Amino acid sequence: MDNKLKISINDLHFSYKDKSVLSGASLRIMENTINAIVGPSGIGKSTFLTTLNRLWDTTSAEMTGKIEIFFHGVPQDIYDPRFPETTLRRKVGMVFQAPNPLPMSIFRNVAFPLKLAGKTSRGETEESVEKALRQAFLWDEVKDRLHKDALLLSGGQQQRLCIARALVLAPEVLLLDEPTSSLDEKAGAVIEELLVELKKNCTMVIVSHYLAQVDRIADTVHELVGGKFVTGRR
Amino acid sequence: MTGWFSKTIRIFSWACGMAFTSIIFFFIGYLLYRGAGSLSLKLIFENTGVIDAVLLRKQVLGGLFPAIAGTIILVLLSVGIAVPIGVAAGIHMAEYARGRWKEALGFFFDILASVPSIVIGLFGLSLSVYLHRTFFPKLYPSLIISALSLAVLVLPYIIRSTQYALESIPESTRIIAPALGASRLQNILYVLIPRASSGILGGIVLAVGRCAEDTAVIMLTGAVAFAGVSRSLFSGYEALPFYIYYISSQYADPAELAEGYAASLILLAICAVFFGVSFIIQKGVESRALYGP
Repeated sequence: MDNKLKISINDLHFSYKDKSVLSGASLRIMENTINAIVGPSGIGKSTFLTTLNRLWDTTSAEMTGKIEIFFHGVPQDIYDPRFPETTLRRKVGMVFQAPNPLPMSIFRNVAFPLKLAGKTSRGETEESVEKALRQAFLWDEVKDRLHKDALLLSGGQQQRLCIARALVLAPEVLLLDEPTSSLDEKAGAVIEELLVELKKNCTMVIVSHYLAQVDRIADTVHELVGGKFVTGRR
Repeated sequence: MTGWFSKTIRIFSWACGMAFTSIIFFFIGYLLYRGAGSLSLKLIFENTGVIDAVLLRKQVLGGLFPAIAGTIILVLLSVGIAVPIGVAAGIHMAEYARGRWKEALGFFFDILASVPSIVIGLFGLSLSVYLHRTFFPKLYPSLIISALSLAVLVLPYIIRSTQYALESIPESTRIIAPALGASRLQNILYVLIPRASSGILGGIVLAVGRCAEDTAVIMLTGAVAFAGVSRSLFSGYEALPFYIYYISSQYADPAELAEGYAASLILLAICAVFFGVSFIIQKGVESRALYGP
């Protein structure tokens, strides 16, 4: 694994409704690694994730500090007003705690980000959808029923579908907010396995409660303590 | 909460539900009892051939056909005007308006919702008189004036139902598309509106019912007793509620009153068809948006 810097977070302060969540948090995340964010619940781990794709609620929260992500090696201040958040979110995918497929067919769920990005060529879409589903270890299970309702899949399959959906635009960074917490052990293990495989293409930041999981998959562990990160080794 | 108390509440709620259901059955049953006997093609088309009448080749004189056609055209026009404006305003309320501005708008919509229909009819009448005197000497109370007035009458229902349907979508659903790179407008069009469509339909159904039954507005703005099927937006027209009002206040014999009941049945049937059609359209919109090609 080469040691290139992917995300640089500098002196981040974040407060939500006057409650301080991050105070002077700094972090360096290397390319093609899995980075676990750990800490007691309610301390702001998920909030921190949303600062990386600007998905936090700007009407009731405030943030200062600088976050740079190296897209194809070029540093980009992701809070630069000239850098649109839609572009950012196409390069920084996110998977949530509970699987959240839209009430559409499997195919349309995975193709949805392509449609949003204005890529509508049928052939290209089919290719990208298949690739993303393969990356998410789901292709073999769904290839015969791509046009069936995604909500009919099991929880674990739905979560892998959401991972495929996040991968279809080939993001360079993937944010995962406790992606296995709503799944049983077996379904969770499949996802862990696929995340390790994804390291080839992606840099991942994962919030996790399970120390065993962190031990199994994370390259670096960052503990959130008092609004700052304490980086441990694995 | 003690056992007997919650039990009483439960029985009372059940009884209220049953009472209302039976009132509806009694009501429809009564209309059928009084009106079904008079229902006939002759009542609707008099002596004109059905096909000639529907294709507007011959004017129906004395039958209910012009009133039926008038009501259908009126509902389509009013709802056609009110739905795009109302849904757009509802989207504005739920997704864009904030703070004081939102409160102020909400307050005005509530005022509009509480204006009695006779007042809106009076306003429509004054408007047409004003336009007639100042700008368009050929404009009289007519189909278009009624449709506009009815659209104003039902706008608040559509706005509010659109707004509440959108606002009730949970945050976890709202962030799905933005997290995938959707702009605000894409999120509204592709995810939020299809999700809210059944709630929006509720408002449209209310609006359809209101446009079909309202008598006060149309009496003042263009409905007349005998006009035939109107050939233009700027002519007077016949409508079922007005016919029912007219016949029940001036009937000469029991047979004419029975025709009023029959007209009521037809009005109910028209509403039912409209509800059915709106339901099918909503299902179509929802599944096209979510499952379509």
